[in-house]
Amino acid sequence: MPIVEFQAGTLRLAGFSRSLLVERLGGLPIRFDPRDGGFRCDAMWFGEVSRRLAPELPGGDTIRWQVEPPRKRPLSASFSDRRTIRLRDDQRRAVADFEAGDRRGLLVLPTGTGKTVIAIELILRHADSVLVVVPVRDLMYQWHEKIRQATGLDAGLIGDGVYRVSPISVTTYDSAAIHMPRIGNRFSMIVFDEVHHLSGSWRSDAARMSIATTRLGLTATLPSSPERLAVLEQCVGPVLHHQTIQEAAGRTLADYTVRRIAVKLTEAEERSYRQLSAVVQNFVYDQRQIDESFRWEDVHKLVAAASEDPERATEARAAVQAFRAKRKIEEHAEGKLRVLEDLFRLHADAPVIVFTGSNVMARKVSLRFMVPCLLSHCAKKERREYLEGFAAGRYPVLVANRVLDEGVDLPEVKTAIVLGGLSSGRQAIQRLGRVLRKSNDADATFYEVVVEGTSEVERSRARRRNDAYRKPS
Amino acid sequence: MLRSEHAIIAYDFATMTARPDRLLRSRDRAYQAALADCVTLYRQGTGSRRQDLHAAVAERLERLPGCPPRRIAAFCKLLDDASQFKNPGQAAASLRRRFFTAAAPLHPIVSTREGIFEHELGAARQEISKQLGMPWEEIEAELFSDVIELQRLESFRETLGAGDVLARYNVAQTQAALYRASQIRVTAFADFRTIIAHAKLARLMHHIDRIEGPRRGYRFRFDGPGSVLRTTTRYGVGFAKLLASLLHCRDWTLAADLVGPGGRRFTLAISDRDGLQPGAAAETGFDSDLEREVQAVWDARPVADWTLERETELIACGQTVMTPDFALRHRDGRVIHVEVVGFWTPEYLAEKTRRLAAFRRQTCHEWLLLFPKKQVKAAEDIARAVDLPYRLFTKRSDPADWINAINKSPAS
Repeated sequence: MPIVEFQAGTLRLAGFSRSLLVERLGGLPIRFDPRDGGFRCDAMWFGEVSRRLAPELPGGDTIRWQVEPPRKRPLSASFSDRRTIRLRDDQRRAVADFEAGDRRGLLVLPTGTGKTVIAIELILRHADSVLVVVPVRDLMYQWHEKIRQATGLDAGLIGDGVYRVSPISVTTYDSAAIHMPRIGNRFSMIVFDEVHHLSGSWRSDAARMSIATTRLGLTATLPSSPERLAVLEQCVGPVLHHQTIQEAAGRTLADYTVRRIAVKLTEAEERSYRQLSAVVQNFVYDQRQIDESFRWEDVHKLVAAASEDPERATEARAAVQAFRAKRKIEEHAEGKLRVLEDLFRLHADAPVIVFTGSNVMARKVSLRFMVPCLLSHCAKKERREYLEGFAAGRYPVLVANRVLDEGVDLPEVKTAIVLGGLSSGRQAIQRLGRVLRKSNDADATFYEVVVEGTSEVERSRARRRNDAYRKPS
Repeated sequence: MLRSEHAIIAYDFATMTARPDRLLRSRDRAYQAALADCVTLYRQGTGSRRQDLHAAVAERLERLPGCPPRRIAAFCKLLDDASQFKNPGQAAASLRRRFFTAAAPLHPIVSTREGIFEHELGAARQEISKQLGMPWEEIEAELFSDVIELQRLESFRETLGAGDVLARYNVAQTQAALYRASQIRVTAFADFRTIIAHAKLARLMHHIDRIEGPRRGYRFRFDGPGSVLRTTTRYGVGFAKLLASLLHCRDWTLAADLVGPGGRRFTLAISDRDGLQPGAAAETGFDSDLEREVQAVWDARPVADWTLERETELIACGQTVMTPDFALRHRDGRVIHVEVVGFWTPEYLAEKTRRLAAFRRQTCHEWLLLFPKKQVKAAEDIARAVDLPYRLFTKRSDPADWINAINKSPAS
């Protein structure tokens, strides 16, 4: 009897004649597996395979399907819609576009337009098993809470040392890639939040090893490389809906102002900074004498090649140390704490969020101003306490590192401060997005505190060229 | 085990081979001395913060010419693996909550007070110390003491010496190289059952070829379900685990296909003669007591022209493999598979019966079941169910009777 079974993230088809498979499943990437005499393909083709094998087989053979684990009762019975909010028109359009696109594809929406609201709507309409895949652990807990509020269900968690699989579960990209061989047949819908994280070859296994036929990818920014976009289109589906930040601003988002504050290094900092810069510059100059095409990024190869050329490696290591020390001076410049002090004074009556470029700086700010910081070591309960306490006004300030990046829901806030950091365009968009959340139509202010005359200023300029920073007219 | 960012691999583009980092006792004598210092740092470092221990190890190892940062990070990881760090967990979290809550009304805390609603830093610290009943220095030291790099060393495995760290390093680097492997091939002339059992534990799939001569052995190819669809390194951790078990085996060679720079394929060769030291004994869980008894019975009265070999035959049926406990081999090439049936639960017996029934169809050889004397009832049931000859054995049994059993009808 022919059989189709889920096996460690793949579908195994055994007992079929080759000619039948060619006739029915031609064009799908299915391979013969000599190790067990069956045929095999990625689990993601389950929808296509079951559709094409549905018509009666020649000779009246029936297929034994051992793909999805048997379920005691239909899941839809345990769903209830407990939401209090209604979808806006633009959100309803995104939902309609997804459904018109055969429930497989990408929705591109700026941060702050309620991606989660749209996803929850689609999950409720799906009314069956769902796995939500998110970039970081904070978001995992946040989704867990959102699902509880919307459906009353206590969703499973897979990641952060927890392995609790339920028909509705939330996981991170890395945990999904690790565990999918075991859980890939448990969910008929899969949601990728911040779907651009999926395009790497290891992480895309999370999509390939799942049998889910309903596939939703959410993002504010599609990857710019065509190869990476192609991976998303294959593993999730085509772009079904695209809303730009300009369309969103003003209508669903608050207006905002960007203020850049440059701080000067202290004399001592300046002196060390110059010395360290000289070390780096001299090193680069020397290397260019040896090899014209030398670029600073090549330094790590020289450090690593310690056994081949120990002397050059030692110089390279000194240069790297100087470079790091330089960055550290920028990152920890005393002046930044001074500016922070003034900004806290200025906004003493309103909640302020501070973003730092490192955990060390986040802890430094936290200790100096005695305000909570959200870091990766915080457990679920502690994070929630800070987030809720901040929202309720019990804490005046919240400090966060990039851990919070990419759309972790922060309470509504009008003032945010970014300290240095090595932001790329995408990070900038998403950081900004959180400040932009609709807050009584009041103007939001976004401060950038950078060190004058250092590379941080250059990075800030590059950042503001991004269209996320252009004030909408 | 190391993380993949600790791996140091030398790629030779002329031969397309890969070589994991390896330190030798003789050539790298300087490391032995430096590692002895590092071990002392940890041994005497109780109460030190992780980041300070790492900085001290780095400072010591950086003095060795040509020691790359990854090697230093790898040694830190191995030393950490032999250590217990204190994680105050909830205590630190609860201190933070009390601290931030107590400080909230003092916001903004400024260096020099200007407005009437402001609080000066020194005064604020005093106030908070008083409220929490802790000196400021202690608050500062404990507030983030659960952060991994700030955790304090509690204990270090006393028996671990510099030589052990060096040996572990070499194994760990070889394992880390295997994280990048897409497939491994093992040629073995002994311990087949251990190899296949640990491959199963590592969730690998196999392909097995028999080597008939000049020495009898097997060629195994290991990878995973997805390997047939694309070249993937996702089973690399499984290969690394299998290597740890292989180090306990005799007489093998391993060749791994590594995905190297630019996605190009490199080969890594390892064998039991490379001097990689096995770690703690791998657990096997086989019923070796009974098998030892059978061996003793045979050794006491061997039968002419026959040899008794332990676990030398593998019978593969798709992805299921059976290794009969013994093979009785005659000079003329005849083989009798011998299964010793010990005892646990009815489920175990049912499974054994099912497997025997399935596997006896896979081979043209004869089968014999051996039961300890006290299991008469089960012996009859199983032998009847699978239709195979059987014998009960005691310490005084004559093995010649086992061979005779094959020539008679089952259960006679």
